[in-house]
Amino acid sequence: MAKVITKGILYLFLVIVAASCLIPFYSMFVTSTHANSDIARKLLLIPGDQFFDNYNRLKDTVNIWRGFANTLFITVLSTILNVYFAALAGYGFSKYNFKYRNALFVIVLGTMMIPGQLGIIGFFKLMDSLNMLNTYWPLILPSIHNAFGIFLMRQFADSSVPTEIIESGRMDGYGELQIFNRIVLPIMSPALATLGIFAFIGKWNDFLTPMIILFDNNLQTLPVMIASLKSQFTSDFGAQYVGIVIAVVPVLVFFSFMSKRIIDGVAAGAVKG
Amino acid sequence: MGSKINKTHYGYYFIAPFFIGFAVFGLAPILYTLYLSFMKWDGFNDPVYVGVANYTRLLHDSFFYQTIWNTLIIWVLSNAPQLVLALLLALILNEKFIRGKHFFRAVYFFPHIITPVTLGVIFSLMFDWQTGSINKLLMNLGIVNDPVNWFNSPWWSRVIASAVICWQYFGFNMIVFIAGLQSIPSEVYEAAEMDGATKKQTALHITLPLLRPVFLFVFITSVIGGLQLFDAPLMLGDGPGNTSRTMVMYLYQTAFKNFDYSYGAAVAYGIFIVVMFFTAITAKASRLKD
Amino acid sequence: MKTRKWLTMATSVVLAASLMAGCGNNGNNNSAAGDASNSNNGSANTGASNGGTKELSGKLVIWTFFDQVKDMADQFEAKNPGVTVEVKMFPGDQYQTKLLTALQSGRDVPDIFDLERGYIGKFIDSKFLTDLSAMGGDDLVKDYIPYVQELGRSSDGKLRAISDHSSPGGFWYQKEIAKQYLGTDDPDKISEMVNSWDKIIDLGTKIAADSGGKEHLIQNAGDLFDIEAYNTQPWVKDGKLNIDPKWQTIFETQQKIRQGNVDAKLPFMSAGWGNALNDGSVVLTSMPAWAGFMIDNKDNKANGKYGVAKTPEGFYVGGTYRGIYDKSENKDLAYEFIKYIAGTEWQQHNLEKTGNMPGSGKVYESNLDTYTSTFFGDQNILKPYYESVKQMPAIKADKYGEDILSKWRKAAGDGITNNLSYEDVVKNFKKEVKNTFPEIKVD
Repeated sequence: MAKVITKGILYLFLVIVAASCLIPFYSMFVTSTHANSDIARKLLLIPGDQFFDNYNRLKDTVNIWRGFANTLFITVLSTILNVYFAALAGYGFSKYNFKYRNALFVIVLGTMMIPGQLGIIGFFKLMDSLNMLNTYWPLILPSIHNAFGIFLMRQFADSSVPTEIIESGRMDGYGELQIFNRIVLPIMSPALATLGIFAFIGKWNDFLTPMIILFDNNLQTLPVMIASLKSQFTSDFGAQYVGIVIAVVPVLVFFSFMSKRIIDGVAAGAVKG
Repeated sequence: MGSKINKTHYGYYFIAPFFIGFAVFGLAPILYTLYLSFMKWDGFNDPVYVGVANYTRLLHDSFFYQTIWNTLIIWVLSNAPQLVLALLLALILNEKFIRGKHFFRAVYFFPHIITPVTLGVIFSLMFDWQTGSINKLLMNLGIVNDPVNWFNSPWWSRVIASAVICWQYFGFNMIVFIAGLQSIPSEVYEAAEMDGATKKQTALHITLPLLRPVFLFVFITSVIGGLQLFDAPLMLGDGPGNTSRTMVMYLYQTAFKNFDYSYGAAVAYGIFIVVMFFTAITAKASRLKD
Repeated sequence: MKTRKWLTMATSVVLAASLMAGCGNNGNNNSAAGDASNSNNGSANTGASNGGTKELSGKLVIWTFFDQVKDMADQFEAKNPGVTVEVKMFPGDQYQTKLLTALQSGRDVPDIFDLERGYIGKFIDSKFLTDLSAMGGDDLVKDYIPYVQELGRSSDGKLRAISDHSSPGGFWYQKEIAKQYLGTDDPDKISEMVNSWDKIIDLGTKIAADSGGKEHLIQNAGDLFDIEAYNTQPWVKDGKLNIDPKWQTIFETQQKIRQGNVDAKLPFMSAGWGNALNDGSVVLTSMPAWAGFMIDNKDNKANGKYGVAKTPEGFYVGGTYRGIYDKSENKDLAYEFIKYIAGTEWQQHNLEKTGNMPGSGKVYESNLDTYTSTFFGDQNILKPYYESVKQMPAIKADKYGEDILSKWRKAAGDGITNNLSYEDVVKNFKKEVKNTFPEIKVD
């Protein structure tokens, strides 16, 4: 009997926490379907019919789908760069016994300790002098250097990429880069997926850099657009809620299909880290 | 082996992109920021060398100290409950008899993949004193008669900012804890069971000590990340008397709102020192325990 | 809060503009002030500028945060077929950073750029703005509302930027509600009833008491910041912080307003504020002429419902100024554009189309007896606006004014909410100023 009660309490706890995770999103959705006057006055529990009115007002001022597409474009490109170059360097550290290897690896790890915002003002000015402000280059190219990714990839290459397979590649007359691209990368794909998930989530959520680098509204990313909703629709709460719903729902759909992979990937990355 | 020796220099090629990328997009901006921190520059006129004036100003800047304090408070208020909750949930979900494990894990993890900015906006809308659903709910339930002006109270502002961060990270850390729990070999538990240990004893004397490396990982990442709080708190605002303004928010406002780039650069280095200081303390404290 | 406030303001202007422009284009009268119809259309163009004598050609690039500039460009192009005007619009708070970066680097720069009242002071003395006085610009603004032309002048008195409008404010009220609580809906009588803050406090206390606290006379004690902002001395004099003693009286008034339950405590442009404006739970809402879009006028249901009365002191909120980039290669053409928007032809067109008040006193005067709008029914709102706007003191914008004002707004606002003494408010305020502007001397 006591066991049943304990079980019941545990489940109740799990359900309450789960509800606290989902209710804010439900509330966002419900509120987005009501008119401003109702949002201001009533507690809203069931969906209304004003979603498209709110959506149309939002759409007239903020091109939110454009922001979505922009963010997707930037995120996909950076994730590819990030994963590829991290694998390349991780593999390089793992399989080539060059001079100063360990010292260089320590430097790589050391760069992880630098807080991201330290250079942000210099970054802004430097991108200005390179004529890269208001372009995607400053958002995509820095993905080439990812110390955490290199660390993860080196761990994986150390344990799971056999040196013999590289040797046999050389026997077949492959160049070093060919060996990496054709033989090693496929072997490393589980690690690539893990790192890819980290990189994707990180880039998708990136806020400060696009906010200071991009000016053109047509180039802007989704997080910056969401952040500007509050100032652009000071008292139009309906439109703000619709913006939130548009930002959240696609992620929700994607996550509900991919949740197992994502969570496993995060778990794998965390244990390695 | 012969062929391998000849090829070692390829290692340099393979790691070169990282170093080039870091030099251009990481190191150069940091050095440029350092250079700017010794100048006076508002964006309108050309930069003028002023020595350590910006740093002297920083040392006397009570607003900067206030942001350090705010950041620490928000960090403690968000991380203490967050880590406890994450660990508790991880222990429960690691029990064999619990059903729907995957569902719960996914639901708890969900807030983590939502953009922090979006979470900040969601909370600021929920707690809006005129239109927010929290006040409507409290009034309907008869708990309060008049709407509570949350963001007009220093402590509520901080608690709400902390709540966003707690909400965002507990799922992530729970996954990390579960991964740590699962890496504990089952033989250890079997041995404990054979010795007649109770569930509570096992948890306290076996599971927690074995989880220590995972704990350290979580703790150090949350120190480094937590002191750079920005996105979500920015959406919630400065709070009354700037009581919920974080260090990075101050950096952003100084440089990109007031166009005081040079002073912003000094603030950036001030933040750097604070973060390094607390990271060192954490690292030291964890070593002392060993 | 300070940046948010101005951001709100700037974006509101953009929003207002886009809404109004939208209305003008599709002929759908949704916006309150947007459907001004004018009885003297015929005479509108007679006082038009002397353009058309010489052929202009070339290309201009204008940067703005303000949607309505597109209409300016269209009108100018229509008049000068040889000219193309490219308008690049950057809504929101990105504009200022973008502009500064471009000007600083000298690449990808506009010929003409817009500056909002909130930050014109930072730009006005910079090397980026052409001296319009040297090009004869003083002549363009000789009939201007004094405050409007003075804001475009740098500290050496040279004209650097020109606005095409003024942004006067007044008390907006619903006639039905006014009849109920004030006993009249006549704008002159109401203006008379509320021509001092003491009268407002007495009247407001009574209304709050009679209605059981449900009805408030004004929206917010904080509205006085907007109303008094430019009726007080500049914040910085000779490098020293200068707190006009008048602020103490204002602060005490604000405290009395709060204590008497005269205000509904709703911040400008917040959701509750908008509701109160529309449902009449606040009798008088002080707001600028351009904020009419806050009134829900779906299917013209608000036409004839509202009136405007004078505030105890005249005030204005916001304003957009236009200057020429000093290194522009098209300065002469750019000047022609500035001349066009400073002229009566454009301002008359703008008044008729969007209800935006002109910057030129001449345009005010030529419409003074004839202006009507369907929205305001038979009330001629131009008159009260003109009377208050022409009395606004002409004060130059400096780089500190707006930032320091918003610090005051924050410190004093805090003092009203938490019932602090004036001394404490001043103490907090000085600390803020000292910290942000170490170069200003603070006692």
